[in-house]
Amino acid sequence: MNQEDAVNRAIEDVVDLHRNRFTLLKEAKKPKIGWVTIYTPEEILLAAGVIPFRLTGEVGLNSTEPSAILGNNYCSYVLSCLGEGLAGVYDFADGIIFADACDMRKRLWEAWAREIPSNKSYFLEFPNDASDISKEYFASQLRKLIKILEREYECEITGEALRQSIKVCNESRTLMQRLFKNKKGERLALSGPESIQVVKAASTGMKESFNTKISALIDVLETAEQPPARDRHRVMICGSYFDHSEIIETIEGAGADFVCGDISNGVKYFEGNIDLNSDPVTAIADYYLEKNTSAYRLDTDVRVEHLLDLVEEYQVDSVIYYALKFCDTNLHDFPYVKEKLKEEKIPVLFIEGERNTTNFGGTKTRIQTFLEARMF
Amino acid sequence: MLQETIGQERQIQYQNLLNLVGDQRQDTDEDKPLLKASQMRSIINSHRMMQAYREGSRVAYVSEQFPSEIAFAFDMIPWNLESMAIMLAQSVDVDRVFKLTQEHQLSRDICSFLRGPYGMMMENCYPTPDFVLTNTQPCEGLSKVGLISGKGYKAPVLALHAPNSIDEDSLSYLVKQMEHMMSRMEEDLGIEVGPDSLKSVVEYSNQAREYYNKTVQLLRSNSLPDVSRELQEIFGMNYFGVKENARICKVLYEEAMQLAGKETSKRKRVLWIGQVPEESHEILQHMREVVDIVYWAPLWDANMMMLDEKDPLKSIAERAILYHWDAERTKVETSQICEDHEIDGFLIANVWGCRNVMGISQVLRDIANSKKLKHLTISIDLVDRNNYAFNQVKNRVDAFLELLQ
Ligand code: SF4
Ligand code: SF4
Repeated sequence: MNQEDAVNRAIEDVVDLHRNRFTLLKEAKKPKIGWVTIYTPEEILLAAGVIPFRLTGEVGLNSTEPSAILGNNYCSYVLSCLGEGLAGVYDFADGIIFADACDMRKRLWEAWAREIPSNKSYFLEFPNDASDISKEYFASQLRKLIKILEREYECEITGEALRQSIKVCNESRTLMQRLFKNKKGERLALSGPESIQVVKAASTGMKESFNTKISALIDVLETAEQPPARDRHRVMICGSYFDHSEIIETIEGAGADFVCGDISNGVKYFEGNIDLNSDPVTAIADYYLEKNTSAYRLDTDVRVEHLLDLVEEYQVDSVIYYALKFCDTNLHDFPYVKEKLKEEKIPVLFIEGERNTTNFGGTKTRIQTFLEARMF
Repeated sequence: MLQETIGQERQIQYQNLLNLVGDQRQDTDEDKPLLKASQMRSIINSHRMMQAYREGSRVAYVSEQFPSEIAFAFDMIPWNLESMAIMLAQSVDVDRVFKLTQEHQLSRDICSFLRGPYGMMMENCYPTPDFVLTNTQPCEGLSKVGLISGKGYKAPVLALHAPNSIDEDSLSYLVKQMEHMMSRMEEDLGIEVGPDSLKSVVEYSNQAREYYNKTVQLLRSNSLPDVSRELQEIFGMNYFGVKENARICKVLYEEAMQLAGKETSKRKRVLWIGQVPEESHEILQHMREVVDIVYWAPLWDANMMMLDEKDPLKSIAERAILYHWDAERTKVETSQICEDHEIDGFLIANVWGCRNVMGISQVLRDIANSKKLKHLTISIDLVDRNNYAFNQVKNRVDAFLELLQ
């Protein structure tokens, strides 16, 4: 096998975890619980012997029924997830955990509880700041969740079990941080669409398997001969739930690189690590509240500071702000974020879209025009 | 910011507001005699608006169901972002305001109750606030508008996060947040607000609430549409905690007593759910010809809650959580309202961009169906008239009214 084939094979190996997730999850002899926000403490679910997997809304293409339940003018990620649930896509799961990460996901929880009673639904309170008061409260909510899981699965979630699952998740995060690190002039290890697929693979809950596969990928990449350097315009995407290979392909087709996604299918998922030396529940609570730099976080400046840090770290030239239609918090934040980026002379393009759109014509032209004006 | 500078800014803002007064005037029921309580409220409202533009006044922008008792304990004028939007929509050139928000790329998909204040701030015609006090009710958008306004005016933003569940952890979490908020306000203002200030505010709040609740009782078995409307206004004004509000509630109760039993013809009762248009709005005028409108929001359990004078923050916390439109609680509460008020039908007003009413509409329709009540869901925009035309909904409203008869 030549080098290129070996790299491609290793990438495919990781991505297969996502592609085949339904089969793999169904086969796994463990209980499974789905989640809809990256602020769900997967570590606690893993410590209970549960596989925590993400709902991606990818196969919930029929929005008629969910729209009748929640409304037409609703976030399409939320509608797609509900569509999947109504279609029985998650019948293999014991339940779904909904953390309070935006108003529409709260409504999704309520609708799920009513309409899909075969899946248990859990609701986790999630403060929108990271004050000491909020951290203490969130930790109390995590303890409550632990009790519920202990009762449900007749197990004891010990400190040791939590430390063990933190270790596994920290390892996943560290490996992804290593894989995704990139500098100006370097050729990226993964294409944009591949990078999204890798993060999606990480969120399928099969952590150990993911860690093995991604380690193998990193090994192959590190031992392979480095491709010649290339200096391309560097683009970051931020905003709502994002999973559009067409948009990334347009960026790459225009001769730019997608170097960083400040999105839940990007760095937001694998940033930071949980402190293994403190009380595990406190450490988990602190980690998730501090890591929250999404639009749900009330203070937009925290988000902006984080965005600017990433711009610096990844040497970003321009930003695409992607908002799902009707995603209120991201729509509210945009004028402010745009102003702040403008102050730093960072060009930004605003794009609105839907979870499962197929018509990209207009968006494609806008991206091309935006990038061409900055690249040539 | 120096009070003097704030004072100068507010003078300019007041002039800007006057300049923004539009040509179009909405029709009003000019001949309709107003309740005395309504007249009082209108005077108090105008007075507080004027006060808010004065130098030396302390102004706090607040979100819709923010515990106003906290603002009053600090002798602040609460400037309710959402209610102000609808009030001002009647007199100012809202098109100009919305154009400005579009120029700033604020999405038109956002509810106009939120775009309105945003635009008004861009026009620089809201009074500079000393503080922005927000909570997560009724929606996250409102807290965001509060946050952005604080950044714009460089005013401290102090926010409450109200969880959904009512239990000891959640209550004490909210109490701690309120204590923290109050101590931050004391620090910034350089004053000490002793427990007595909160105590007297809570007493006024309870006095008002007592009359308010008694008035609600009268609504149950009497046809008192104007009283129902006034309760809606009192709820929207959210002035619980000052003497004037206690007086308005008392006067309203006395008037309701006098009116009770006078209206003999029993008309059908429609529960108006969702955001409420100003009183002269054509839909209301049209419906009032045929049915009695009972407003949903003033009848919520949260609005009936008396505060515990010995442990006010804890009961304020409980009320705050109750204000969330939690599906399960709403179901129980609304079913009870239907029984208590002998409701014949629901009108669910879906304000463009309000995901909360939209998200809970199915639950409400289910209640109506289970009680065999007629219901109609309409899409409407109460502030941005570009998003709505009466003709589009009139036929459906007429069909609904016919079904009810
Ligand atoms: S895309 Fe926006 S509205 Fe949709 S779930 Fe995410 S934050 Fe909520
Ligand atoms: S109408 Fe709905 S979206 Fe608009 S401010 Fe009120 S609760 Fe928020």
